Amino acid sequence: MQYALLIYEDETLYGPGKKGPAIQEIVSRHMAFNRELGAKRVGGSGLAATSSATTIRTTRGKHSVHDGPFAEAKEQLGGFYLIEAKDLDEAIAIAKQVPVLQDGSIEIRPVLGPG
Amino acid sequence: MSGAALERVFREASGRIVGALAARFRNLALAEDVFSEACARALEDWSAKSVPTDPAAWLYQVAARAALDGLRRRRTHARFECQLSADFDTDPADLDDEAVIPDERLRLIFICCHPAVGVDARAALTLRLVCGLSTLEIARAFLVSEATMAQRLTRAKSKIADAGVPFELPAPRFWPERLDAVLATIEIAYGKAHEDAAASGPHAHFAAEMLELTSTLVHLIPDEAEPAAVAAMVRLAEARRPARIDSRGLMVPLSEQDPQRWQRPLIDEAIGYLNRASALRPDAVRVIQAKIHAAWCSRRTLQSPPPWPQVMSLYDSLLTRRDDPIVRLNRLVAVAEVHGIEAALSELESLDGGLLRHFAPYHAVRADLLRRLGRAADARCAYDEALLRTSTHAERKWLTRQRGLVLEPQS
Repeated sequence: MQYALLIYEDETLYGPGKKGPAIQEIVSRHMAFNRELGAKRVGGSGLAATSSATTIRTTRGKHSVHDGPFAEAKEQLGGFYLIEAKDLDEAIAIAKQVPVLQDGSIEIRPVLGPG
Repeated sequence: MSGAALERVFREASGRIVGALAARFRNLALAEDVFSEACARALEDWSAKSVPTDPAAWLYQVAARAALDGLRRRRTHARFECQLSADFDTDPADLDDEAVIPDERLRLIFICCHPAVGVDARAALTLRLVCGLSTLEIARAFLVSEATMAQRLTRAKSKIADAGVPFELPAPRFWPERLDAVLATIEIAYGKAHEDAAASGPHAHFAAEMLELTSTLVHLIPDEAEPAAVAAMVRLAEARRPARIDSRGLMVPLSEQDPQRWQRPLIDEAIGYLNRASALRPDAVRVIQAKIHAAWCSRRTLQSPPPWPQVMSLYDSLLTRRDDPIVRLNRLVAVAEVHGIEAALSELESLDGGLLRHFAPYHAVRADLLRRLGRAADARCAYDEALLRTSTHAERKWLTRQRGLVLEPQS
């Protein structure tokens, strides 16, 4: 099965615009983790700060464009992995190894199968 | 066979049959549906003809055949075929002479108690599938409507299917976490039975299911301490049931219960489990908790002194393993008896009231200490807070009586 691992952290830890020194540290840890994952990593990426986010809202067929992320929260979606895992237990084991700087949450979501 | 006897056969067979079907077809909802179908068929068949010599094997065969028929019909849908062909190929041949139902209860327990399933739903699902209770019975125990419970169970089964909860036994490295989820589930389920001290309410017979389930678990996982500790705890708590309510329906606190009314055979059985757990891991949290129950149950008569010092020192060692406000609160009850009421109250006031404020026993313990110190107005307030948060009848009656014992200050 394929799972998305959605990484939620308080992005202010990474400084304004996620350009502080901590970002170097976490990026190198993610790179090491990527190597470890090998073929189990199907895709994924870090995301730029929510200050760069734009949200398109659709209401009754009408689009409107907004500045900012979909939801304001203490922890924001900061990156994701798409992985291949045998089952939820393997996905949980992998998710536990996803680097986070301090506190954070990894949401595990199975991807919808084809059709 | 009477209706009640049939019910019992169905209930006892449930865990093994649903477990075996779920392991085989990797689908909980399907396993449950075809088992219900087989029970319905049995009701017709067995009353018309005779009851088969091995009713469980009959139920398993009929259910498995229904599952295969259903899957074959669905096979025309190409998408299912590739996923299921492996199951068809591995064992359709042995279906007809299937005399022994493989014991997959442990798998079923691990599936139902997966930490990815919500904690309440886990307990409900285990009671439904492993213990074979009806949705209505579980709904009553959780104080929700049958429709709500049915929905909760369906949601839990979908979560298990959609999230990819494995149908294999977890690998050893997952065991500590997974076993903890299983044991917590049993504690919640037993808690539901234990709340009903009078054993007259709908959750009463849960208790028997929990005795059975814990002994099964120890049988299946003999080398772990905590399952045996939980088996001991459930028995020790259950042994005290006859003494927990007095003739007027009031709750009787542990230290005032007549030990001669406790069920000795259950206590003896519990001590066997506890010794086994203690030999494996004497300092595990649940082992210490079971020892606290055992300390109480070692009391033989109301005349012999309550084991407060021993209970307090066990709580002390529990605190070194698990320091939380509830453990501290329980310890304070013993502190009051060993070091005095003033000491206990000042410790109680230093606990994190924010967390405990919603917890009835916190107010009950506080009320008791205040009453014994002669602080009448504060004690009454605390009793009111406790009553506000207590729903069981026997406890309410007891709290009300205790509140009445508060003496007016001399003016």
